[in-house]
Amino acid sequence: MIWRLLRSAAFARAILIYLALFGGAGAWAPWTQAEGGPAPAWASTLWLDHPFSSPWFLAGVAALFASTFACTWGRRARIAGLRRGVLPPGAVTLAGDEGPLRRFLAAQGFRGDGAVLHRFGTALWAGWVLHVGLLVLIAGVFAQQALYDQGTFILTEGELKQLAQPDAILMRERGRLGPVDPPDLAVALEAFDPTRKQPGYAPDRLSELRVFKADGAVVADTLDRAHGIEVDGVEIYQGIRSGLSVVLDVRGMGPRAVVLQERHHREAAAEVLDLRGRPVRFVVTTERDLHDVSGTGRTLIRLEHGSQELLLSPEAPFDFGGTQAKVTGLRRWGSFSYARSPGMPAVHLGFVLILAGCALLVLPAGVAVIESAGGRTEARVQLQRGRDLLEADWQASTTEPG
Amino acid sequence: MQSTLFWAAVTAYAVATALGIAGFAFSRERWLAAGRWVGLGGLLPHAGAIALRWVEVGHGPYNTRYEVLSAQAFLLVAAFGVIALVSRHLRSLGAFVMPMAFLLMGFGVATFDTRREVPIIFKSWWLILHIGFAKLFGVTVALAAICAGAYLWKRRRPGSLQRLPDPPRLDLYAHQFLLSAFLFLGVMVAAGALWANQSWGRYWGWDPIETTSLVTWIAFGVILHFRVLHRWEGARMAWLTLLAFAFALVTLYVVAVMVPTIHNSYMVGP
Repeated sequence: MIWRLLRSAAFARAILIYLALFGGAGAWAPWTQAEGGPAPAWASTLWLDHPFSSPWFLAGVAALFASTFACTWGRRARIAGLRRGVLPPGAVTLAGDEGPLRRFLAAQGFRGDGAVLHRFGTALWAGWVLHVGLLVLIAGVFAQQALYDQGTFILTEGELKQLAQPDAILMRERGRLGPVDPPDLAVALEAFDPTRKQPGYAPDRLSELRVFKADGAVVADTLDRAHGIEVDGVEIYQGIRSGLSVVLDVRGMGPRAVVLQERHHREAAAEVLDLRGRPVRFVVTTERDLHDVSGTGRTLIRLEHGSQELLLSPEAPFDFGGTQAKVTGLRRWGSFSYARSPGMPAVHLGFVLILAGCALLVLPAGVAVIESAGGRTEARVQLQRGRDLLEADWQASTTEPG
Repeated sequence: MQSTLFWAAVTAYAVATALGIAGFAFSRERWLAAGRWVGLGGLLPHAGAIALRWVEVGHGPYNTRYEVLSAQAFLLVAAFGVIALVSRHLRSLGAFVMPMAFLLMGFGVATFDTRREVPIIFKSWWLILHIGFAKLFGVTVALAAICAGAYLWKRRRPGSLQRLPDPPRLDLYAHQFLLSAFLFLGVMVAAGALWANQSWGRYWGWDPIETTSLVTWIAFGVILHFRVLHRWEGARMAWLTLLAFAFALVTLYVVAVMVPTIHNSYMVGP
């Protein structure tokens, strides 16, 4: 009963229409759009705040998978039979002499010398390949969603960061079966230009990275937002966000980067705890816009603690919670992300199969079987489309003078 | 020079439109043929205008409404030229293709003077595939809609549009173009996903245009199911083909204009 339901065209159609309507509504829902604001309470109550990871959508995709599987199961034998000349009852029958019939079918694109002729015989598999591709794609996406691991991190120019260290990764997301720990890599930002002009493109970020693998091997590469770099199955991408960091040399601790966030177009600040655990704030004001392509111009660095304010000069020591520190530089920071995507090969294979199926669908496949009995010859023809036209063209060709 | 070439192409498409409509209205084969040749002749200055803009801005025609729509019109007319060469039956479709090209040019002209640098993420071969197949998708779905529209017209008024093929053949052509559009849309979506993965490490972000493209692909799948499994054809399929065309318009143009998406740049303009 359930198998019959899953195999029915009506069920497949209903699922596709459901997914199309759901997808359409999800795409236009204000809270799913950029700057669309938070989801309303009713949407959260119905688990629709993230519509495409909601149970409603996932159930639809699961039903699509089940329906596609049921429709595809057993179809291979039928197609193989069709190729051998086992035609369904709805095939067109053309009656006439064998010679003209063969010539007519050849003109229609049918090839072969025996009793069974084919037109784009491989394309008979179009629907099957497309459906198998859909199954592989859905399975690949689920595998990818279960196994993926991604996160973002910030690096200041000259900084080296172990990704597996606590607090190194911000906004980490991973699938239920994804790796527990972040990648065992250390990444150093050798140089960073947030407004590098590459010929033909608007100014954008460009980084020079060195990635240290667990075995000590080093990979050095240049990174922009067009392409990630891959090291041991981990892809590293350039993010959009960038800003200024105050680099400190704290006695006994070595260099430390304080990542500042933009407060307005000529000021950036960060609140941190000094070595006594008191909240202090580093504030940088600039002569020009923080993102000015020609640079920020003259900068002032202040350290604020309550109502106290201290102007910091480069290399001049200051008290940082009982320990001496000095500002060694003002540098740029850039944001990066890493991704581990073990499900992607299956996703790619799904794409390839779906597109191969779609490409085969375009070809007008057909099978013709020529049968002679009792001095009468018939061609039974199975076409994916245009049966009536074929019949009409045959009638027209037999009534044409000459 | 670029402007002169552009307006020469617009004029050619306008004249071709007028000749095509008059040719059908008065059943004059010569006017139809003249319209076809004038329209196809417009490809030459049009190619020049596109090439000059390409050289000037340093990237292909895929950023700003003028570049996108002008290239779409060019491909539509060029595809019609190829089809007219291959199939005599479809030559008279020029009378429907030229007005579409003319309208696309008209919609794009408002942003003729807008020039934008492209962001660095456009540095990708997947982008070329994504955009190339988006344009082919637009062309083939438009041709499917033209065939479906002509089918419906001829079915109601059997004596009219005699230069066009019989309704059953128009129905078959519409289906064939729809299948091609289904393929091209599939490649567009897949290439876009692979491009996103290359740039950002995620192949799908449920951006409004991504989602609408997927919905359109599913809608095409439903429509093709009706044809293949339920043997729907004729008027019902023609209406469904026009519905598919509406889906395509929403995907390619309406969402980019009306909804904030990562794809806004390609339809940028007043």
